[in-house]
Amino acid sequence: MSVEDRPDPTPADGDDEAAGPFERWVRDTIRNPEKAYKAMFYTALIFFLITTLFPLYWLLMVALSGETTQDVGLLPRGFDPGLLLEGDLTMGAEPGVFVNVFTVVPFHRYMLNSFVLALVTTAIVLLVASLAGYVFGRLQFKGKTPLLLLILVISFFPPAAFFIPLYQLFNQNITPFGLTPPELFNTPAAMFLPFSALFLPLSIFILTTFYSQIPDGLEDAARVEGTTRLGALFRVIIPLSAPGVATAGILTFIAVYNEFFFSFLMTDGGPENWAPLVEGLIAYQGQYRIRYDLMAAASIVGVLPVAILVVVAQEKIVSGLTAGALKE
Amino acid sequence: MGTETQRTAPTERSGVVSRASTWMENLSEQAYAYLLLAPAFLLLTLIAFWPLFETFRMSLYADGRGGETLGEFVAIDNYVQVLTGGNPFLPREVIDLSLTSSFPFVELGEPFFRQALLVTLSFAILSVIFETLLGFGQAFVMAKDYRGRRWFRVAIILPWAIPIVIQGMIFYLMFQPTVGFMTEPLQAIGVFGGSPLSTSRDSFFIILVADIWKTSAFMALLILAGMQSIDRSLYDVAKVSGASRWQQFRMITLPLVLPALLVAMLFRTLDAMRVFGIIETVSSCSTVPSMTCLVVETMFSARLYASAATVAFITAGLIGVVVSVYLIKFRDTERGAYA
Repeated sequence: MSVEDRPDPTPADGDDEAAGPFERWVRDTIRNPEKAYKAMFYTALIFFLITTLFPLYWLLMVALSGETTQDVGLLPRGFDPGLLLEGDLTMGAEPGVFVNVFTVVPFHRYMLNSFVLALVTTAIVLLVASLAGYVFGRLQFKGKTPLLLLILVISFFPPAAFFIPLYQLFNQNITPFGLTPPELFNTPAAMFLPFSALFLPLSIFILTTFYSQIPDGLEDAARVEGTTRLGALFRVIIPLSAPGVATAGILTFIAVYNEFFFSFLMTDGGPENWAPLVEGLIAYQGQYRIRYDLMAAASIVGVLPVAILVVVAQEKIVSGLTAGALKE
Repeated sequence: MGTETQRTAPTERSGVVSRASTWMENLSEQAYAYLLLAPAFLLLTLIAFWPLFETFRMSLYADGRGGETLGEFVAIDNYVQVLTGGNPFLPREVIDLSLTSSFPFVELGEPFFRQALLVTLSFAILSVIFETLLGFGQAFVMAKDYRGRRWFRVAIILPWAIPIVIQGMIFYLMFQPTVGFMTEPLQAIGVFGGSPLSTSRDSFFIILVADIWKTSAFMALLILAGMQSIDRSLYDVAKVSGASRWQQFRMITLPLVLPALLVAMLFRTLDAMRVFGIIETVSSCSTVPSMTCLVVETMFSARLYASAATVAFITAGLIGVVVSVYLIKFRDTERGAYA
C-alpha cells in the first residue's frame, strides 16, 4: 500500500497566490517532504486500523441489534442503551444476547473443550518438539536435511488426505498388525493426536532456531562439570531458550484454537464428546430459527481468549513467527 | 500400600535413570540424535506418514461401488483420468455445474478438476499478491516508533489469531443480504449479483477479501522481521548521499527484505493452495470449488474415496512443485544478496 503512496501528493502544483490553508500545506510539504511522509504514515495507520478492526466492530453491532436483524449499519438497529442500565437480560433484549449465548447452546462447554484440547496439544508438542528442535539445532548427524524436508512435506497435503485412515483407525475399522486400536472417536485423543502431529513441524522449526543460537560453550561447561547429556539439555539448554519454548507454546495454542478441519469432523458435535468451539458456533445454525445476533455474540465471546492472548503475548508472537520462518 | 510404593519408587527409579543415562552417554552422537528424534517421528509416523501412505494406496485402486470403499487395483489410472478429465464421476456428480457457470476464469462444462485447479491457482495468486502489498504497508507502519505502537501491532495481529470458523461467520454475516448493509449498495452498482453467497464469482471475491483480512498480518510480521535485520547505517549513508525515500526503498529495503519476503510468500502460497475452512464457512464448497474442497466433496458427499485420494496427492504434488520453484529462487536471491 504505502509502496503506491510513495509518489508525492502534489495535485495543486500550478496554483498560486490564493494561499488557502490547503495550498499553504501543499507548498509546505513540497519544501519539506518529511511532513508529507508523516501525513502518509498517519493515513496508512488509520487505513489499516479501520480495515482490520471494522469487521469486529460490525460483528458487535450485529450482536446488539436484536433478533430481527435487518441491514445492520454502523450503529446497532433498535438497540436501546437504557436496557443496559435496567439490566434486562431476558431473551430478545439486546444486551441479554451475551447471556443467551450460553443458554441456547452450552457455549461455555465448547470453549472449555477447545481450551483443554489446546493445552494438551501444546504440552505434547512442546515436549516432543524440544527434543527434536535440540537435535536439529545443535547436533550434527547423517540425514538431517532429508528429515527436516520430510517434516516440511506434511504441510503440502490438504488436511483431508490424513483424514480417512485416521477416521477408520479411531473408529476401530481397521486392525493394523491384527491389533484392535482403542476407540478414540468422540474422545479428546481423536483431536489432540492429529493436532499434535500437524502442528509439530512449526514448533520444531521455531525451537531449532532458538536452540542453535545458544553458544556451545555453555553446554560444554555443563558437560565438563559432570552433567549427563540429557541433564545438560534439560538443565541448561531448555531453560536458556525458555522464551523460544513459550513462543512455540503460544503459537501452538492459537493454531489449535484456530483449527477447522479436524475440530469439525473428529467428533459428532456433542459438547460432552469434547467437540470444540467450531461445533459450538455451528450449533447455532441447527438449533434455532436463524438468530444472527446470537451467532455474532458467540463469535465475539469466542474471540476474547485469543484477543487477550494477543494483547499479553504480542512480542512473543512476533518473535516466534519470524524465528520459525527465517530459520536458514 | 500407597506409602510403600512412594518410599521405594525413588530409589528404584534413580537406579533405572542412572543406568539409562550411562547407556545414553555411551551412544554415538548419531545414535543419540536418532534417539531424541524418536518421539517426534513416532507421532508423525502414526498420525501423518502412515495416513498419507494409506491414502496413497487408496489412490491406486478404483472407486468402490455398493458399500465397498475400494474397487480393484488400477495402478496410476486414477491419476491419468483426473488429469485428463476422463474421470467419469468428478465432472457431474460432485457439484452442480450450473452454480459454477458464472465463475470468471472457468468456462461452463469444463472438467471439474480443471475448475478446481483454476479456482485454487487464481485464489493463491490473487491472495498472495494482495497480502504482499498490504503486508508491506503494515510492516512499514509497524516498524516506525511512535506512541501506541504496541496497540497498533495488537490490532494488526488480531485477525490472524481469530479462529477460521469465526472469520467465516463474520464474512458470512457481512454479505448476507438481510443482515449486511454492504450487499445492497454493491448490488446497486453492479458488483454483486442476486445472492452473492451462492454465486461463484461473488463468493470467490468475498472469500478472497476474508483471507486477505485475516492473513496479511502474517505477511507483515515476516516482512517486518526482514526489515529489522537491515543494518541502520545503510540508511544513514543513503541519506548523506542524498537518496530519496523511494530510492532508499528500491536500493536498500527491497533487496534486503527479499529473502524474508520470499519465505513469507512461500508459506502463504502453501496455505492458500490448501484453502478450505474459510470457503466452507462463508459460502460452501459447491460455490467455490478449491482443490481441497474437491477432495472433501468427493470423499464425503460422493463417497469416491479413491478419486478423492488421487486429487489429494495431485494437490500435494502441485504444492511440491511450487515449493521447489520457491526454494530454487530463494537460493539464488540469498546468494545474490550476500555474494
